[in-house]
Amino acid sequence: MKKILFLFFLAGVLPALLWAQQGQGRVVTGIVKDANGPLSGATVMEKGRPANTVAADENGKFRIVLHDGTNTLVISYLNYQKQELPIKKNARDVEVVLQQSTAGMDEAIVVGFGKKKRITNTGAVSSINADEIRDIPTSSVQNALTGKMPGFITVQRSGQPGKDASDYFIRGVSSLNPDGNKPLIVVDDIEYTYDQLSQINVNEIESISILKDASTTAIYGIKGANGVLVVTTRRGTAGKPHFNVRGEVGGQAPVRTPQFLDSYHTAVLVNEAYTNDGITPLFSQNDLDLFKSGADPYGHPNVNWYKEIMKPYSLQANANLDISGGSQAVKYFVSGGAFTQNGSIRNFSTNSDGVNSNYFYKRYNVRTNLDVQATKNLSLRLDATARFMDINQPYSVNVIGEIYDFSRIHPYSAPFINPNGSWAYAFDTQSQEPTINSRLATQGYTRNRRTDFNVLMGFTEKLDDITRGLSLIGRVAFASVQQNSLTLFRPVPPSYHFDPKDSTYHLNTGVNGGGYTYNTYRTLGNTDLDNQRTNIQIYLNYERVFNADHHVTGLLLWNQESYRVDMDGAAGVTGAAPSKFRGYSLKAGYDYKQKYLIDFNAAINGSDRFQAKKRNGIFPAIGIGWNLAKERFFAKLIPAANLFKLRGTYGVVGSDVAFGNQYLYNQVYNQGGGYSFGQNQQPVGTIYEGALGNDNVTWEKAKKWDAGLDMNLFGDRISFSGDYFHEYRYDQLVTRQDIPEILGVGLSPGNVGITINRGVEGTITYQDKVGEIRYSAGLVFTYAQNKILYMAEASPRYPWLAVTGHPINQPFGYTWLGFYSPSDVTDTKVAKPVGYTVQAGDLKYKDVNGDGVIDQNDITAIGKPNLPSLTMDMPLKIGYKGLDISVLFQGAFGYSLGLKGNAIEPFQSQFQPIDERRWTPATAASAEFPRLTSNPTTINSPSSYYSNFWLINAHYIRMKTVEISYILPRGWLPLRFNNGRLYCSAYNLLTWSNVSKKYQQDPEVASNTAGDAYLAQRVVTIGLQVGL
Amino acid sequence: MNFRIYLLFFWAALLFASCQKVYESVPLGQQVTPDLAFDPRDSLGKNAMTYLLTTYQQVLINEHNRINGDYLDAASDDAVSSASGIPSVQAMATGAYTATNTNADDEWSHHYAGIRNATVFINNINVVPMIEKLPNGQPARSAYRSEARFLRAWLYFELLKRYGGVPLLGDSVRQLTDNIQLPRNSFEECVNYIVSECDNIKDSLRTAAMVNGTTYGRITRGAAMALKTEVLLFAASPLYNGGNIDNGNPLTGYASYDVNRWKLAADAAKDLINTGDYSLMPSFGDIFVKQAAPVGPNTETIFWMQVGINNDVEKNNAPVGFTSAGGKGATSPTQELVDAFPTDSGRSITDPASGYDPDHPYDHRDPRMSLTVFYNGSLWLNRAVQIYDGGLDKPGGAVQQTKTGYYMRKFMGPFESVSANPPGYSSMVHDFIYFRYAGVLLAYAEATNEYSGPSADVYNVLYALRQRAGIFPGSDNSYGLKQGMTQEEMRAVIRNERRVELAFETHRYWDLRRWKIAGQQYNTAPLSGMDIQLSSSGQLFYNPISVLKTVFRDPQMYFYPIPYNEVVRDPQMKQNPQW
Repeated sequence: MKKILFLFFLAGVLPALLWAQQGQGRVVTGIVKDANGPLSGATVMEKGRPANTVAADENGKFRIVLHDGTNTLVISYLNYQKQELPIKKNARDVEVVLQQSTAGMDEAIVVGFGKKKRITNTGAVSSINADEIRDIPTSSVQNALTGKMPGFITVQRSGQPGKDASDYFIRGVSSLNPDGNKPLIVVDDIEYTYDQLSQINVNEIESISILKDASTTAIYGIKGANGVLVVTTRRGTAGKPHFNVRGEVGGQAPVRTPQFLDSYHTAVLVNEAYTNDGITPLFSQNDLDLFKSGADPYGHPNVNWYKEIMKPYSLQANANLDISGGSQAVKYFVSGGAFTQNGSIRNFSTNSDGVNSNYFYKRYNVRTNLDVQATKNLSLRLDATARFMDINQPYSVNVIGEIYDFSRIHPYSAPFINPNGSWAYAFDTQSQEPTINSRLATQGYTRNRRTDFNVLMGFTEKLDDITRGLSLIGRVAFASVQQNSLTLFRPVPPSYHFDPKDSTYHLNTGVNGGGYTYNTYRTLGNTDLDNQRTNIQIYLNYERVFNADHHVTGLLLWNQESYRVDMDGAAGVTGAAPSKFRGYSLKAGYDYKQKYLIDFNAAINGSDRFQAKKRNGIFPAIGIGWNLAKERFFAKLIPAANLFKLRGTYGVVGSDVAFGNQYLYNQVYNQGGGYSFGQNQQPVGTIYEGALGNDNVTWEKAKKWDAGLDMNLFGDRISFSGDYFHEYRYDQLVTRQDIPEILGVGLSPGNVGITINRGVEGTITYQDKVGEIRYSAGLVFTYAQNKILYMAEASPRYPWLAVTGHPINQPFGYTWLGFYSPSDVTDTKVAKPVGYTVQAGDLKYKDVNGDGVIDQNDITAIGKPNLPSLTMDMPLKIGYKGLDISVLFQGAFGYSLGLKGNAIEPFQSQFQPIDERRWTPATAASAEFPRLTSNPTTINSPSSYYSNFWLINAHYIRMKTVEISYILPRGWLPLRFNNGRLYCSAYNLLTWSNVSKKYQQDPEVASNTAGDAYLAQRVVTIGLQVGL
Repeated sequence: MNFRIYLLFFWAALLFASCQKVYESVPLGQQVTPDLAFDPRDSLGKNAMTYLLTTYQQVLINEHNRINGDYLDAASDDAVSSASGIPSVQAMATGAYTATNTNADDEWSHHYAGIRNATVFINNINVVPMIEKLPNGQPARSAYRSEARFLRAWLYFELLKRYGGVPLLGDSVRQLTDNIQLPRNSFEECVNYIVSECDNIKDSLRTAAMVNGTTYGRITRGAAMALKTEVLLFAASPLYNGGNIDNGNPLTGYASYDVNRWKLAADAAKDLINTGDYSLMPSFGDIFVKQAAPVGPNTETIFWMQVGINNDVEKNNAPVGFTSAGGKGATSPTQELVDAFPTDSGRSITDPASGYDPDHPYDHRDPRMSLTVFYNGSLWLNRAVQIYDGGLDKPGGAVQQTKTGYYMRKFMGPFESVSANPPGYSSMVHDFIYFRYAGVLLAYAEATNEYSGPSADVYNVLYALRQRAGIFPGSDNSYGLKQGMTQEEMRAVIRNERRVELAFETHRYWDLRRWKIAGQQYNTAPLSGMDIQLSSSGQLFYNPISVLKTVFRDPQMYFYPIPYNEVVRDPQMKQNPQW
């Protein structure tokens, strides 16, 4: 309730208060036209205040109130060049004539340490304005970026509040090193960690770019090999204060609700499995009848634990307020945001102790970006931002995992609650734990509280008096992260087995029995994360146009960073020495009449993970481009092309990511747990030899080629941008696989792996309008395919066992042929597994080496890695006046998904509908599932025999986002708001996937897991944005 | 322009400040350099001693429920695992393993890690100027170095049992740049190496009497001598001595039989017996829960792992009906083991004169039986164990419970009757004993019988063990043993005595192999158990049941496969026959 009040406060009361302090604005009216007459639907914005935006009506007329000193309107419309119109002091009526545009070509895009016009850019960069993703109802930026940019691949593994951020990759994966595929994240030129990105408030972001090729990433040198994600935040412009408030409220529901069989159907299948195994069936006919009739709810319970524990819906809300403005001397952007996402567990708390053990996520963001013009030439900036987060989860209960886990609870294990109100326990299981609801209600929570604090100070000094176009820029940035966990916990509650025969209660005295009384709560605090990053950058920037045709740019950068991890609970680090980085970078660019383009980028930098003499590397890259459309001959040849640019880049970038010892060259001895001497056997710590150091180890390198084409046709109705990329990644830091274990000690990674990664990516957009309806349709696609060329693998006994030659993370397993028939079982010619007697209905696999035995020599590469190799996204937009509808379909193809354990295996997972379609002698022809068995290690188990029966070639198409927004007519707005927008957004609304044929899981869950991650959520919110 | 100067000054100051070292450049808090581990200034050898602890920790394995929750002997004919599915020991007993998917007892990489660890200590300890002296005035440093050499030799022996001849690395600690692709040494070379190591170190080690409350648990002279005895006993055994499964292959044994190998084993055992350091404990049950002399009363243990003082053995293996005390009943001893126990007259139950009654099969048996297995009616935690169908300790259903009608009792404390309410366990010493005096006596008896026949010495060993066990001496003081046995008859008696005396102490599994009788024992008949029905009148009916059809691929499985990866990584590494 508190948070709702807070939202109301933000959305309603605060602006009203602010309004009271507002001065009068200046009203401007006008008309927007193109060559054919008035244009309806064009947006008219006050410069520097994106929120102060109105739409032209059906006659092209508009009315806007100006507030600040810029006195400039920005008029934009799909397919038309954006136009800025200064308003003279006394003008009230203005006329704007828009020109058809060469879509976005003059727009500046953010690249590393600066901006570049789209038309003169040679590198592979994709970029979007944050207002394109601001309405998407998800807490994490990377989730919102899904499908927006070619080359950006995301997979959302979990839906847990606060932990639902997608994994993301730029152009797939190309390193064998598991951590070596994470892109570098740069926010306002300062490095962020991979997970910090998900905590940024989208409302603070101005634009996001991804840098994909060597030319654009070379200035990041040793950190650039995996691509770079560049985020810039919003800044103020001179003028009166400008307020903008957004509030969103919505609901979340699981994308897919798992279905489990009830007690009766489960019991029937359990009996069948026991019969198959030659064990006496567990349930008598009388038991089955009672399960079916439900006449004995305590002796023969029937509980759908999923439905009893989980709510169908939960709340999500978001509120933002930002204020920007300033004078010529001082400009500011101040923003605050609150985000809250609730978990989907019902409230079981029986008392009013206020213990909230539900999952939830709360985040508060504040940011102040200040610009100060100190003198004519010197400007200063001070950016400060803080993020406060709470992630809550129940103590010691992984709810979804437990609901799935048949060995811990059955639908007939226990009633939801005993008739006298006491807690029941899973009487018929090995662990005999009290029911899930009882532990959720009484055991407490684990709460992670994270505080991020960043501050950036900088200056820009124009050095025009030395030479025009030169400036010196310096920055000092400090970022700290601290995460503490608070656990409020107590042991399991008392639980009883109720025997309806004689109405007696029997206390749970098993290993998980809780005694007769509740214990008292205890608390435990921990620092999980404590790190600091300090970054200093100084650079000279140069940009000048000579004789109107020769455009020269240059940059010379010195960059130093120190990253210190005092505490990392997950990695077990306490008090590490800081990792240090120092680099010099150079950028030089030239273009002639925006026609012939050349760029040169280089970095010299090093990392202290390596020996001094192996520390510093040079990473150069070159890019060239040719705007053919600006050539006269080309214009004659293909007059429809307004833009036709060819570009190509080549360069070398690196990566110093490696696991193991911080100093890879160092031979160290580690300390560990002990052995004990003496009569009393007190354990004493030990010292042991750590992984062998390697003096020769150095950074990983990537040679990257990129060829691209940017093309606009037919008056910019069709635009296309596409790239072919080829990456040769070598000297990868992985452990050799060909060293005999008689060496007796672990190895540090060496520079051994070689892979290639190739692919194509691109965007095609068609946009047009019919009458007053404007529309566009696009296709964003990425295809990336990698291959391991060398990894120092020992040559295996059979060639099909080799990992080399396959993609990274290629799954291996058996090849499924069908089910063993009764005659197969007796036929000695049919290959069988060792040490286990097959039965009819077991999965039959191919005997690859033909030795008559199914064993580890018969596994081959099956399916594809888990990361989609092809993604295709289709953004569709349609608009009419102030109404806009956009839909994004996201498709992922070319990957495999296989699950095991709780996800699918009988007696580990709850029985699922697919178990009803198992093999039986009667259904042998139509069976979709092997015969049932209670033995967890048969050939039917994916944990023991992974195969392409379990690993399916998956694909899915999602209606990823849907947004409907309406710019409210000015007359509807109360008080003195001069702009308003109502919108409704949905995320993960609909999903079509072939995964659901076998698994009841989201198609994005990680392969090879039990698939019991927190369920992915679909979200629908309604939002209101108002400003003045 | 003034601003520029200030600015320049500011940045210069900042740069200067940032160049100052705030943090140490080496992460001192986390890592220890080799110099620190073996410190040439440390006369106490503190870090070096800590290092040696690692060697102990890496080398010695707690055999209690080691193989994923089961005893190694649950992969022999003495027991099966109670767990559902295919537990690791069952996979071992049914041959469900290959060179790629090795069995759960594959210790190749673990043991070579331990060998390296020990060698690092052996090579470096001499730089540490330790001043400590043993009670006999010898430098303690030599004793510590010898401990590491013992532990290394022990690992080679453990490897030898599993794989046959293995690469002997000597005192070299190899680096990445060295040649690591080594060939295997022959079986004979490995035996000779281990024996010579034991001979070389035994006099620098502490004797059992020199141990005190602080050094308790360290390797002693007796351990070195016992290891020598054990290695020579293996070397003389049929699998290697005359029964090489791959004729002429030096990796899997000797080329031909030589009776003197038995003599060497017998002599080694005799040397140890003659030291007089050890003697049999009066009570069989006390051996496993009492600390060794001189710290404790246990005169029998020679070499053990310090597992600690706990009640894990009880919790993991006691009958499942004792839920509040935590009984998981992991181990199900077989009927074959139970039948191997003679009656209290010392005679086999197949002997009509033994007094065995099939309707009361557990009455009047060798007292070691009730200290080795739980059977229906055993007393435990103040009640009789119920292993009839539907009884508290065999409830039926899916819960883990005995598959054979027996639970393992060995190693547990005397918890038949306790005063605690509810009945529960107190912590007991559960050190795992690798070598004890009874085993040395049995090795002596076996080797002597093989070399020179069933002499009085051989008989005396059996008398001593049976007397201690509580078997009645009988009127002729023969403890049920036939007088004037042939060598073959005596061989059968010794083998049975080993089986019942040393059950679950990981000997049976290897004995089946070194005697080269595994093929016969595993393949002739399924392992069996007892299904017991309680009639409404209270009468018990005993029905033998088959429990597990074991498989032994003869002769392939006499040796474990060298792990597949190791063979492909090292072209010189020859795989064992037929793998």
